[in-house]
Amino acid sequence: MQQAGTSPDLIDLAGYPIRNENDIVLIRQQAQRLAQNLDFDRQDQTRIATAVSEIVRNALQHGGGGTIKFAIEERAETERAETGRADTGGMAQYLLVDIQDHGPGIAHLQDVLQGRGGNAFGLIAARRLMEGFDIDSSRATGTRVVMKKRLPRSQSLQEDDLRALAASLAVRSAEEPAALVQHLNHELALCLEELRSRQEELERLNAELEDTNRGVVALYSELDDKAEQLKQASELKSRFLSNMGHEFRTPLNSVLALSGLLLDELDGGLTGEQARQVTYIRQAAEGLTELVNDLLDLAKVESGNVDLRPRDFTVHELFGGLRGMLKPLSLNDEVNLIFDEGRDLPPLRTDMGKLSQILRNFISNALKFTEEGEVRVTARLTPDRRRLAFAVRDTGIGIAPEYHEAVFDEFLQLENRLQARHKGTGLGLPLSRRLAELLGGEVMLESRLGEGSTFTLYIPSSGGHAPAAAPGPAQAEGPLAPSPGAPADKTILIIDDEEAFRYVLRQLIVDTGCRILEANDGVAGLKMIGERHPDAVFLDLQMPAMNGYQVLEKVAGDPALKDIPVVICTSSVLNPADRDRLAAATAILPKNELTREVVSAMLNQLHLAKGATNA
Amino acid sequence: MDRIPILQMGRALLITIQVDMHDQLALALEEDLAAKIASSGARGVLIDISSLEIIDSFIGRMLDNIAGVSRLMDAETVVVGMRPAVAITLVELGLSLSGVRTALNVDRGMAIIQQRLHDYEIADGD
Repeated sequence: MQQAGTSPDLIDLAGYPIRNENDIVLIRQQAQRLAQNLDFDRQDQTRIATAVSEIVRNALQHGGGGTIKFAIEERAETERAETGRADTGGMAQYLLVDIQDHGPGIAHLQDVLQGRGGNAFGLIAARRLMEGFDIDSSRATGTRVVMKKRLPRSQSLQEDDLRALAASLAVRSAEEPAALVQHLNHELALCLEELRSRQEELERLNAELEDTNRGVVALYSELDDKAEQLKQASELKSRFLSNMGHEFRTPLNSVLALSGLLLDELDGGLTGEQARQVTYIRQAAEGLTELVNDLLDLAKVESGNVDLRPRDFTVHELFGGLRGMLKPLSLNDEVNLIFDEGRDLPPLRTDMGKLSQILRNFISNALKFTEEGEVRVTARLTPDRRRLAFAVRDTGIGIAPEYHEAVFDEFLQLENRLQARHKGTGLGLPLSRRLAELLGGEVMLESRLGEGSTFTLYIPSSGGHAPAAAPGPAQAEGPLAPSPGAPADKTILIIDDEEAFRYVLRQLIVDTGCRILEANDGVAGLKMIGERHPDAVFLDLQMPAMNGYQVLEKVAGDPALKDIPVVICTSSVLNPADRDRLAAATAILPKNELTREVVSAMLNQLHLAKGATNA
Repeated sequence: MDRIPILQMGRALLITIQVDMHDQLALALEEDLAAKIASSGARGVLIDISSLEIIDSFIGRMLDNIAGVSRLMDAETVVVGMRPAVAITLVELGLSLSGVRTALNVDRGMAIIQQRLHDYEIADGD
């Protein structure tokens, strides 16, 4: 065993930490490479690397890690003969390996080194492989092993060579390339694995999305179907309302006309009780007519079958008309109905009838639900002067916020104490809103429960709506057949499938002294026209077998008959197309406007009234 | 975790150690080989260490252990291709690897294993 030299001259080459098993591999490979660079032969390279491996493993396993340092030691030649090397000027160079661990030291070092007890195989083996082997162990400082092997060089290594060697080792030791590659490989494998799982996740999500998408598409088509069904149902409802409305209107008109006749007491006086009963009948029929008219209006607006008849008028005129119509409604003395026209309002051009209908609805509603205070109707221009605002403000019971939208639903009637007293149709507000839209405007509601409500209608002030085809008043339509004189012996033909109406009309005409013929359908009527050549024909439109349009067409198309005046009496509400088809008629009388005065005026025009005095 | 691959050639297993094994890798090889012998019923194991430049006492003992385990599982281990420097160092270390059968190269190692397989076939044939 050699002691450390007397004047050792140390040149450090490299140092590494000993932390884990991988370090053992790295350090022993480094040791081998170093030995190779120092020109040790293959056998010595293996010896050195193996010895280093043994001691480093001991340091790790028993000492819990440590450090290793490679250095070159130069010292004076002591055993020239033994080494048998060429003279190097009395200096010998040794590879020095210094391994220090952090362990608790080795208890009976000498015994262990003698191979007695303990697991010292590595120490003993390493000592056999190296030329110099010093071990120092204490509980405080851990174990330190210094091994040496003499360099095989014939020429002594210069300091510069050693420094270069140290530098190249340092570079390589920074990270063992193979380990680095292995590490990177490992990372790459992890990344690939993660990528693959991401991809799978993505694919799964994609599949899920596709499923969802298919579901959405299916739902959409279902929705489309539903929407189509709803549209059809809505159209069906409108058609039903329109048809049923007409069906209702016909008998209602009969009831109205007949009760009117009774109340006129033309067929003998009524007792007070009878008069009251007939009055009730008439009121009930009027109420029902109102409901049917509202329904018809709504159905017409909904089906888009409504014509605007714009004309020029002023707010003053409008309010005047409304005042006349509504004053009688305001029966309650506690409520004042006030019309307040703003100043400088421009003239309007819109459908006055529809505008008035909307305001009537608002006002009658306001009167219904106001027990005391006032109902104030105002008109003003909006600040941008583009629109006119008609507001109907009441001091009534008000509407809770949750119902502000619902009051515009059809047939909705809110529960309140005043509702029971005033039965409505539940159609007024929805109809108003739709009419307002038709006029290019809108309806707004402000209301607080208990403080009253304000319904405001906005319509364009310039009458921006293009005027629709606006036929004039229906009654004046068509050329009047000139018929000089009013001979008493004239014949009037009534063609109607409804007996009640024929009866009513007969009662209205009977005064004229004309002979009255009746036919209960178009076929019979046409035959009678051909045979009897009546002086005037009252023709219904809706009849079985042959309707009024067809009858009129036949009459107008026959040179022998075309001069016979034909007055259309109908319950139907006519659109422009209907009116075009009726151009050949002398006049058109709505059945609900049929009164004694209207009929006698008509007869006057036809010179059929009794004598010429009525004209 | 890296693994040393174990190839199966008929009734023999072939292991080529091409990297400087760290200790865990050597331990893992022992386990893997035992499992492979059990699952394949191999009767011979050829371990090629021609790439190894360093065999320290730990690796040496592992080779010894591997051979011992294989033998207990009725498979003969032949270590081939040991470098001269490694052999000398092992002897100097005091490790003779007496439990491990060795051969100079793969050919000779395979011959040993084939002979053993042949013997077994004759024995099985009886």
